[in-house]
Amino acid sequence: MNGPRSMFDRIWSRHVILGPAGGEQLLFVDRNVVHEALTFLAFDQLRIEGRKVRKPRQNIAVTDHFIPTVNRAAGAAGIANPEIRRVVEMIDENTREFGIEHFGMHDARQGISHVIGPELGLTQPGLLISCCDSHTATHGALGALPIPIGQSNQLRHVLATQTLWQKKPKAMRISVDGALPPHVTAKDVILAIIARIGIGGAVGHAVEYAGSTIRAMSIEGRMTICNMSIEAGARIGMIAPDDTTYAYLHGRPYAPQGADWDKALAYWRSLPSDAEARFDREISLDAAGLAPMVSWGTSPQDSSPITGRVPDPASAFDGEQRRRIERALEYMGLAPGTPLSSIRIDRVFIGSCTNGRIEDLRAAARVLKGRKAVVPAMVSPGSTGVKRQAEAEDLDRIFRDAGFEWRDSSCSMCTGSNGDLVARGERTASTTNRNFEGRQGPGALTHIMSPAMVAAAAVTGRLTDVRTL
Amino acid sequence: MEPFTQLTAVAAPLDIAKIDTGMIVPGRFQRIHRRPGHADFANAFLHDLRFDEYDQPRPDFVLNQPPYKDARILVTAADFGCGSSRESAAYAVLDYGFRALIGPGFGDVFYGNCMQNGVLPVVLADQAVQALRRQLIDAPGANVTVDLPNQTVTAPDGTRYAFDIDPTRKQRLINGLDDVGVTLTHLPDIEAFEARYRAEMPWLATII
Ligand code: SF4
Repeated sequence: MNGPRSMFDRIWSRHVILGPAGGEQLLFVDRNVVHEALTFLAFDQLRIEGRKVRKPRQNIAVTDHFIPTVNRAAGAAGIANPEIRRVVEMIDENTREFGIEHFGMHDARQGISHVIGPELGLTQPGLLISCCDSHTATHGALGALPIPIGQSNQLRHVLATQTLWQKKPKAMRISVDGALPPHVTAKDVILAIIARIGIGGAVGHAVEYAGSTIRAMSIEGRMTICNMSIEAGARIGMIAPDDTTYAYLHGRPYAPQGADWDKALAYWRSLPSDAEARFDREISLDAAGLAPMVSWGTSPQDSSPITGRVPDPASAFDGEQRRRIERALEYMGLAPGTPLSSIRIDRVFIGSCTNGRIEDLRAAARVLKGRKAVVPAMVSPGSTGVKRQAEAEDLDRIFRDAGFEWRDSSCSMCTGSNGDLVARGERTASTTNRNFEGRQGPGALTHIMSPAMVAAAAVTGRLTDVRTL
Repeated sequence: MEPFTQLTAVAAPLDIAKIDTGMIVPGRFQRIHRRPGHADFANAFLHDLRFDEYDQPRPDFVLNQPPYKDARILVTAADFGCGSSRESAAYAVLDYGFRALIGPGFGDVFYGNCMQNGVLPVVLADQAVQALRRQLIDAPGANVTVDLPNQTVTAPDGTRYAFDIDPTRKQRLINGLDDVGVTLTHLPDIEAFEARYRAEMPWLATII
């Protein structure tokens, strides 16, 4: 095909086995990532049907949602809750039976699926990566085409065929340009984007993030951006690969080496969107006007600069929005007009696939160095690899000295599947991606923000503008 | 999955509208394992309608009455299978022993999940469903015939009702193909694609 093309279009077409443009197309899946959660349903079903995993080598499994962050040496046997223990045992049994490599709780490569994919070099530009998780878009930060799939039937289809039926979404480009002000991070950029376009703003679209601000970001920052595409409504988020990407990938365990590297590199360089590529929707944002963000409500779109106030439902533009804000404030126990930086918190959490990477821990540690948390605080690094790296850099000491619990890697308090829950009525500053009602535990009150902002909240006991410390 | 062509069997009339997937499989049964050769979800099926709080069968519930013991067709009221998308609802229908459902309408996702598991949901006009139900109440244990190739339902009194079904879905059921089965009919295309892909991307050989 001639004519200008977007990166998304180019990579998508490269994976179409058959099917009409505009209809359901059968796509080739380079790599599928399985985690434990409810995925045993897919394996049960394969067993009932007498089917095998068609391409075991193109699948990788991790344990991330349900494993404990303490007392890991005891293994699955150390998990007190029998249902949680069973889920952790089953992924082991299922992957062994079906011949899939599994990074289990004692594996040095263990971590949250979206963290270890890039970290191990499994995620590469141009690959179609499916994963039974809503935050699969994270892999798009390296120029891969990420597709989130369901945990039972769709996963079973990918396992049995190494393909996926999909209808191509529309293409959208979100450009961010300019230099970020001090202490404004990737998390603040994506929260600002979501606050602007809303939680459904990118539904039905594959988003490409572009512009000089994105180009200047590290791969970690780009992953934070792509990770929260789903909170803007998009299942796919991508960033064109460039020298930052290649430098990040070079030498990683599963990255191509030697002559293979050169061949891969030549291909990767052909992927970025053509200058004249057309998108179904375009949005642009000026980085210079951004500030550190915090959420005040029960949806990621309920976010404002920390210098702002809790909104007044009376100023909503329609009745529906007014009722939504009223409900959110009632759940969050906040009064309209309250300055955000006066909101007291009860605990903090640093971790998750959004902000559990080494750069995130460094940013939090910079704020915490020589200071003390005044509320209960914990860190669960995004992967065992991140944990080791942080320990090599002595960051664990900074966290411990500041009064943080230094835990093992898991999704942990992001959803609390493993039992790391925020108590009812407790208010948390968290580096995670979702502040829905009950997300971190029944009745938990969540404020999402960047790692540096969470660290600032930890030392003052209230939401705090990290620039004022 | 088991192909579906023609089925003549005892039909049971269920006269409750809007039975959602949460009633078909109550939440606490969601995490049951399915094992080959076991009907693991049979017990969960409509559990709280079939059993009381002491887990005793409710004698007045239609499926607990002797004439319907071997029923393989269920005549439902409006919107059977509406509500959440839990796939286990279709498993439970199948594991309990039903191969066909006849009703005035079904939940969308549930409808697709049934097809995917070899259960045929037949949509008939409201009056037809009511006539059918009346006959089944008058003659408990009577047989109904569902003929997929000819797209007809034959009532106990011999009345024949025609029904509509998407031609692609019909073919899949007749051939016993679920989504994976359908995809694997394209295996030659898939393999040709993979060979080409690997030849063009040799550096992937070490990881995929
Ligand atoms: S860290 Fe949270 S968002 Fe990420 S995969 Fe785990 S549970 Fe999902």
